[in-house]
Amino acid sequence: MPIIEKWLISKTHLFERLESLSREQTVIAPVRQSDGEVSFQPIRSADEITLEYVNELHPPKRFLQPVFEPLFTFNLGGARPQLTAAPPPSPQILFGVRSCDVQGFRHMDGFFSGAFKDDLYWQRRNQTTVISMACLQPADTCFCICCNGGPYLSDGFDLQLTDLGELFLAEVGSSKGAAIVQTCDRQSAGDKEERHRQALMQACDEKMIPTAYLAKAVIAITNQRVDEKLWEEMGLECFSCGGCTHVCPCCTCFEVLDHRETEKTGLRFRCWDSCQYAGFTREASGHNPRAQSKERVKRRFYHKLSFAYIQADGHPGCVGCGRCITVCQAFGLLDMAAVVKRIRREGQMVAE
Amino acid sequence: MNGMQKLYLPQLAVIDQIVDETADTKTFTMHFDNPHYNAEFRYLSGQFVEASVLGVGEAPFGFCSNPNRTGTFAVTVRAIGRVTRAMHAMHPGDLLGIRAPLGNHFPLQEVQGYDILFVAGGIGLPPLRSLIEPMLDMREKFGRFTILYGARTPADRVYKTRLEEWAQRKDLTLLQTVDVPDETWNGPVGVVTTLFERTHIDPAATVAFTCGPPVMIRFVIQDLLAMGFPEDHIISTLERYMKCGVGKCGHCAIGHKYICVDGPVFSWRQIKKLPER
Repeated sequence: MPIIEKWLISKTHLFERLESLSREQTVIAPVRQSDGEVSFQPIRSADEITLEYVNELHPPKRFLQPVFEPLFTFNLGGARPQLTAAPPPSPQILFGVRSCDVQGFRHMDGFFSGAFKDDLYWQRRNQTTVISMACLQPADTCFCICCNGGPYLSDGFDLQLTDLGELFLAEVGSSKGAAIVQTCDRQSAGDKEERHRQALMQACDEKMIPTAYLAKAVIAITNQRVDEKLWEEMGLECFSCGGCTHVCPCCTCFEVLDHRETEKTGLRFRCWDSCQYAGFTREASGHNPRAQSKERVKRRFYHKLSFAYIQADGHPGCVGCGRCITVCQAFGLLDMAAVVKRIRREGQMVAE
Repeated sequence: MNGMQKLYLPQLAVIDQIVDETADTKTFTMHFDNPHYNAEFRYLSGQFVEASVLGVGEAPFGFCSNPNRTGTFAVTVRAIGRVTRAMHAMHPGDLLGIRAPLGNHFPLQEVQGYDILFVAGGIGLPPLRSLIEPMLDMREKFGRFTILYGARTPADRVYKTRLEEWAQRKDLTLLQTVDVPDETWNGPVGVVTTLFERTHIDPAATVAFTCGPPVMIRFVIQDLLAMGFPEDHIISTLERYMKCGVGKCGHCAIGHKYICVDGPVFSWRQIKKLPER
């Protein structure tokens, strides 16, 4: 366990720092929109930042894996086609990211590593400073304590803030985080602040309705002992809208397409895709191994909860953010919390 | 050039030759435009390429050529979707984008000393040809060598000249069958599994490689198991809609295996453990 430096910094001062940093790089922070919703947006002034938010519906994963991302441009006009790699991304600070979403970033880090390291992702990731915000107040859909997703973290952030009123308790997780703290007026945090934070976190824990007991679903899915009838039932309930995967901090699937801007020029890009779409596995011949919705729902939960994936990733493909509960069109039937409950209560085949 | 090059940026390849195999299938032989890259390029039987028609898209194809013959490589392509139809409209001298080699490969050293059985259906022969030919380069390392090939009609067979050459060889047995014969056909009629009874197979001493339509593979594997083949002596390839070729886009996942990096070559022992088949 690394020894984490803890400081007390003034809120106003940090906001001023963010404002001046926004002249040099993109600073993304929670901003209240005209419709009242809070959304992560680039800011130019500290006045735009709000701390009155639980979490935004669209996870900040889009700042690491954009919905639409050019891979390269091509020009077919010359003697030989010219391919030009997409320009490297510029540095960015993500301020106010919730713990669950930081855990989502770490899931993405693992997935985009390995033998085929995704340099496009890592270029962006390495240019990103994550200032996370420990949660004092959960939403009624939050279940991060079931998934090791929060409400606060011991590592994975560059800087973790806990709101103590006038001051932030700031925990330094990396040299990028240290660089920001070093430019702020600060004083060392002691046991008193640590106890204050512990009390706040415990209160947050207690307010959470822990609805997602994953263990039994993990075992049933891993051993392929979920009753086929339950998948069929869920397949009929699912609208295949892909909402659950789009808001999931752990979902990373993408499609790759070519787009021509003129007859001779254009680009190849990747964009978010969803395993819940009927066309996701459709082959050119028309053959589709997951033509039925039940097979796609099953796939989603196999990826998130089977032991094979948990072993490879080190954790389940869920951080307990609860967004799938909010977006699911089949109200209350097909989100993570509902499905693990249904598998636990009614979906297991009797052991032979 | 940044490191993205190795993942998503294709290398340009020049088409040297296009051969019509059947009414809807052509073989493209090509080499990389960059001479240094082309000289260094190596691949193994069973691996595949991601081929781009720039501005149209990218699609995966197994190598059909002999990896021992460096300098060029080939893929056999059936016109069935957007990219493949665009490829069929191309001419020698045209340029494709190629990312390769991708995926795992057939066992070659490991199966020395065994009898070898190939069971191919229609356009399943191309990836197996990339293994048959290097094996024939060292024919003495293997026991009995049998190739069973089934197609819908005689005209639907790919590599007709090569099949003639194989048929002339004394050191291998080639048996062919078609579902629907025409006036040129004197050979057997029926599905490829009907050829099993015309051959001498010693399951304990044989490794079988099978590739073809999913329904054919299912019946072939069923028959091989019934003959007593060990599960890891039955080698096949799995196919799925595939985009990135490097285990990231998610399309080709079956269970926790990604066909593009963990495959496309799998033994029956591995395939039967997958939660979806």
